[in-house]
Amino acid sequence: MNDDTVLSVEDLSVTMDGLPVLQKVSFTLKQGEALAVIGPNGAGKTVLFRALLGQLPHSGLVQWQRDVNIGYVPQRFSIERSAPISAMEFFLLQSPDFWRPSPAFTGQLDQELKLMGLDPGVLRKGLGELSGGETQRVLIASALLQKPSVLLLDEPTAAVDAGFEETVYALLHRVQVERGTALLLISHDLSVVYRYAQRVLCLNKSVVCQGTPVDALNPQALATLYGEAGFYHHEH
Amino acid sequence: MPPHTSFWIALLVGIASGSVGPFILLRRMALVGDALSHVALPGIALALIYRFDPFYGVIVFLIGAAFLIFWLEGRSRVPPDAIVGLLFTASLAIGILMIPNADVIESLFGAFPSLSLPLLLAILLTAVVLSALCFLLAKRFLFLIVSPELAKVHGLGRGYDLALLLIFAMIVALGIKLVGTLLMGALTIIPASIAKNLAQSMRRYVILSAILGGAISVAGVWLAERFRFLPGPAIVLLGVGIFLLSLPFARRGMA
Repeated sequence: MNDDTVLSVEDLSVTMDGLPVLQKVSFTLKQGEALAVIGPNGAGKTVLFRALLGQLPHSGLVQWQRDVNIGYVPQRFSIERSAPISAMEFFLLQSPDFWRPSPAFTGQLDQELKLMGLDPGVLRKGLGELSGGETQRVLIASALLQKPSVLLLDEPTAAVDAGFEETVYALLHRVQVERGTALLLISHDLSVVYRYAQRVLCLNKSVVCQGTPVDALNPQALATLYGEAGFYHHEH
Repeated sequence: MPPHTSFWIALLVGIASGSVGPFILLRRMALVGDALSHVALPGIALALIYRFDPFYGVIVFLIGAAFLIFWLEGRSRVPPDAIVGLLFTASLAIGILMIPNADVIESLFGAFPSLSLPLLLAILLTAVVLSALCFLLAKRFLFLIVSPELAKVHGLGRGYDLALLLIFAMIVALGIKLVGTLLMGALTIIPASIAKNLAQSMRRYVILSAILGGAISVAGVWLAERFRFLPGPAIVLLGVGIFLLSLPFARRGMA
């Protein structure tokens, strides 16, 4: 494994209930690179993430860089909207002290909020009161608190209002450039892949194509990936 | 019998109930938690038949039930409501058949307890420890509620789910003599439901719920003594009354 490789995956296979969900998936992720994973529903994208995080039994080799710091960004919160939990308290889940946070912690939090273009006033809002765009940026800022060398994002704009997806990707791009953070993201949006990802991995249980978006996403590969019907129709 | 037994149990067990309630409520386990307290009944029955203090029967059965819920939850993503409902009402039925008629009302709805001083002190001390645990583990419990998948990445496992269930089961066990098996589950849910309508943040939510738990229980015991009610129904009805008063303060978005 080269020094600048953050993640190296070889022949990763996952079987669930006796059925193959992932077959012999191999790829690498380099420092500071953005790799987009695309594929139809049920292609095993989320399963891939869970296997990478060591949450699923799998065969094959998943090798992270030594002392790697992984920032995982879930799609949304799992709570009811009326739960009295402030955004500040969501960040405090990562503070050593939940009841009385240290100035060092709040100082770092201010920085991450700025990077995500969030007003400090957002901290007083309840988690259920945040808009889709705010939620996503809060989740990313929270992952950044760990100073991760790689961010894992499972469809980061799935719950974001139309028109704001672009902002989220622009902010992620900023993190990638300013911090040198590698991005591994699942995306449905091919325009985003062309624009922000240096490399793409097309997945449908096994790897259908990979490479730079321009090379890998040729009409033939897309037809194989999304079915012979031809063009991938993007729904919103 | 030590003086003010009921007052001290009401205060400290009330605070403990209020401390654990928010986590049970946010985990959407209010009904499972309520049903859990019914399991205490066969424990009381066995204690009465074999002549040992019912408290020990209650604690063994409740801790067993906590492990059972934990095991059932692990088997599927959906809380197995039907199984829990069947099993727990069955234990209620078995308990009623086994308990001598003279003791049935007291077992179901509580009474002013008479306890030996050592047992009273043990109950009070346990209530303090369990309340403190709720505050110490609040961050981890909350993490698993807000985003189980993220909590997992941060190394928080199901052990904390079990810890929450066990703390809950023990608090229910502590209050059963005073409040009764049918109503004790409610005592853990009511202060948390009121506080949820009033609090804007989790930290205030847990603190307010703990204070309300203590206050409602003590006031309920005072009312019961004054007007010669059973303490359990007095506490629960007082709590429900305050909950109704708190409803106008509930924020929008409440289901």
